[in-house]
Amino acid sequence: MKKLVVLFLVLAVIVVIPAVQSAFAAGAEPGEYLDRRVVIWNLFFKMMTIAFVVGAVVSGTMIWQCWRFRESHPKAKPTAYEGTDW
Amino acid sequence: MVLELQKPRPIWQIMFSTHHTDVGLLYLISSLGFLFLGGALALAIRAELFLPGAQIIGDAMTFNRIFTVHGTTLIFLFIIPFASSVGNYFVPIMVRYKDMAYPKLNAIAFWMIPPAGALIWLGFADFTWYATPPYSIISAPGPAADMWIFGLKILGISSVLGAINFIVTILKCKHPDMSIGQVPLLAWSFLSSSLIILVAIPTFAAALLMLLTDRLGVSGFFNPAMGGDPIAYAHLFWFTFHPEVYVLVIPAIGMMYEIIPRFSRKPIYSFNSGIFAFVLLSIVGFSSWAHHMYATGMSFTEKTVFMVGTLAAVPASAMHVFNFIATMWNSRIKFSTPMMWAVGGIALFFSAGAGGVANAAMPLDFSTHDTYWVVGHFHLFVMGTIAFGSIAFLYYMFPYVTGRMYNETMGKIHFVMSFIGTVLVFFTQHVLGLYGMPRRIFDYPPIPEWIAMNQIASVGAMIIGVSMAIFLANMIYSSGKGQLANTEDPFGVGGKYYYPFEAKNPSH
Amino acid sequence: MSGHSNWPEWIYVGVVIALMVWVGAEAWEAERLVEHVPEGAEIIKVTGQQWFWTFEHEDGTKEIGELHVEKGKAYKFEIHSKDVNHSFNIHDYVILMDAIPGRVNTVWFAPTDVGEHDIQCREYCGLIHYNMRGTLYVEEPSS
Repeated sequence: MKKLVVLFLVLAVIVVIPAVQSAFAAGAEPGEYLDRRVVIWNLFFKMMTIAFVVGAVVSGTMIWQCWRFRESHPKAKPTAYEGTDW
Repeated sequence: MVLELQKPRPIWQIMFSTHHTDVGLLYLISSLGFLFLGGALALAIRAELFLPGAQIIGDAMTFNRIFTVHGTTLIFLFIIPFASSVGNYFVPIMVRYKDMAYPKLNAIAFWMIPPAGALIWLGFADFTWYATPPYSIISAPGPAADMWIFGLKILGISSVLGAINFIVTILKCKHPDMSIGQVPLLAWSFLSSSLIILVAIPTFAAALLMLLTDRLGVSGFFNPAMGGDPIAYAHLFWFTFHPEVYVLVIPAIGMMYEIIPRFSRKPIYSFNSGIFAFVLLSIVGFSSWAHHMYATGMSFTEKTVFMVGTLAAVPASAMHVFNFIATMWNSRIKFSTPMMWAVGGIALFFSAGAGGVANAAMPLDFSTHDTYWVVGHFHLFVMGTIAFGSIAFLYYMFPYVTGRMYNETMGKIHFVMSFIGTVLVFFTQHVLGLYGMPRRIFDYPPIPEWIAMNQIASVGAMIIGVSMAIFLANMIYSSGKGQLANTEDPFGVGGKYYYPFEAKNPSH
Repeated sequence: MSGHSNWPEWIYVGVVIALMVWVGAEAWEAERLVEHVPEGAEIIKVTGQQWFWTFEHEDGTKEIGELHVEKGKAYKFEIHSKDVNHSFNIHDYVILMDAIPGRVNTVWFAPTDVGEHDIQCREYCGLIHYNMRGTLYVEEPSS
């Protein structure tokens, strides 16, 4: 449990610090304008990275369980509820 | 059995019946009819966009009318009536009552749909399903626009009447031995979506009236030339129609809650979290409407509020996905056609939801709003999730409705082709949107990426079209000539079906 | 209903909520950055009407269907419409803002490279919505 807390703390720091930095750094110098394309597409790609990782986990799980728990799988065994009027 | 082609009843006996299964059958047949009509329009749109320049549709006005009627038809005349059909068949059985609470009201609610459908189809309006003013007030040609307004008005009343009926049936007519917590999740889905309808629809009903008087020139609610504000319409519209998205999706999730445990041969993982997620979604669904309007010039604060409201709806939807996956865990799944459709629907539900999270992030709106990204996104919901859940349930209740089995092979071919087609069309449209192609355009400049992706999408649409033809053939042939179903356990998975085979040909 | 423990679901819901908080925070930050109009941005009045765009620069020059700007400067568009709703869109610069009669909406950008970009209408506005297009010319600074 402690390890998990530490892990999440580390992750939080890794995510938060760059965000705070970019928040204070952007548009600071006069004459330099923020490029909205960079900001928006960066956000987009960050979100897509997360979305595709989560998507891979979710759809991977579903594909695996559809393969593993199909009734024709060699190791398929009846569930506890079969034969009852659940 | 309701549709007994062996011993057919005269058609007027079904048409003038108020029995819930007969009304359910009427809903079913009319919604499927509109599914094929609306689908044909979709194929026309995809054929037109296969290449730049005019292809099969002669002019922009016809094209605009086609996509307007396509959207209106499939949302209001297919998805909602289909859900009502399922609700009519199953809700009274699930709460162990003899019929809907108000049978005559039930029949009236159905019989409002054909005239409304006729108004929409004979008018063929061109102002998109969103009917945005001031275009719909000062520019849209009548009488098509006025007919659309009346059609939608009637459909609104119809769904409010249907919603009242479902709520009363579930809350007041359930068997006294049954607590509300024992009502099956499919019936819960109808309870929550009906409550949303009651709260949401009146707003749009008011907006439609104002739109009509604006068109007549007697008022100027949304007409800037008369001091009105078009954005007010957008708020009223989306206050109804963002929750309406949940009205569409919640029954489809409810249908999956019926199918997935059945074919996994084990009860739902967490019944209570299913109920909780339905109720939560139907409340939180009201906090997100203006995320459709980021680009209309809202303030930063407004945008933030609605982004938070939108993101708040995600955990509830995610709980359903978890519930499905956990139910299938350690089960023994029989992949009959309904199960394939339901599992495919969950996968696409996840993709649609992930796209929805990206849409909620306000800055991304600058690149995706009103592009094909949005088209792809919401079609993953309406087609990938809702239509998939609905078709799954149609296969599931086919033996109940007809007493016969559909052709399993054709059902599976239907699923595989539709799934591939759906992925091809709507995933590609997401990317096409990122390349900047706007929605609702009749023609586009010959940009190579746009052409390539439009062609992929059009090919996908044709695959779906062919699969739907197979589906139609299967339904028609099997309802007359299919193998007789084992009415105790048509899918051979055991357990207790909500199939009241003892309730035969009603005659009141 | 059933006697099993629910901790996997709680963890899962927690992860989902954490992800949503992260999405919200990132989006909020990015939106804050792009909404902040820099001082000294040149104002260009954009008028949408069925079915073309008109641009008016600060010095009074008007352009129809095309817009000339200089690279390295910041521009703020003040967008409004004469008839129905439109949406002013330069996709290459991720600019999008609805043109709505009776309102003035603003959005800003600073072009970085010389080039030509498409301007289009992204809100349905009737018959020739599909061809309500223009061109943005980004040029070298004149001074």
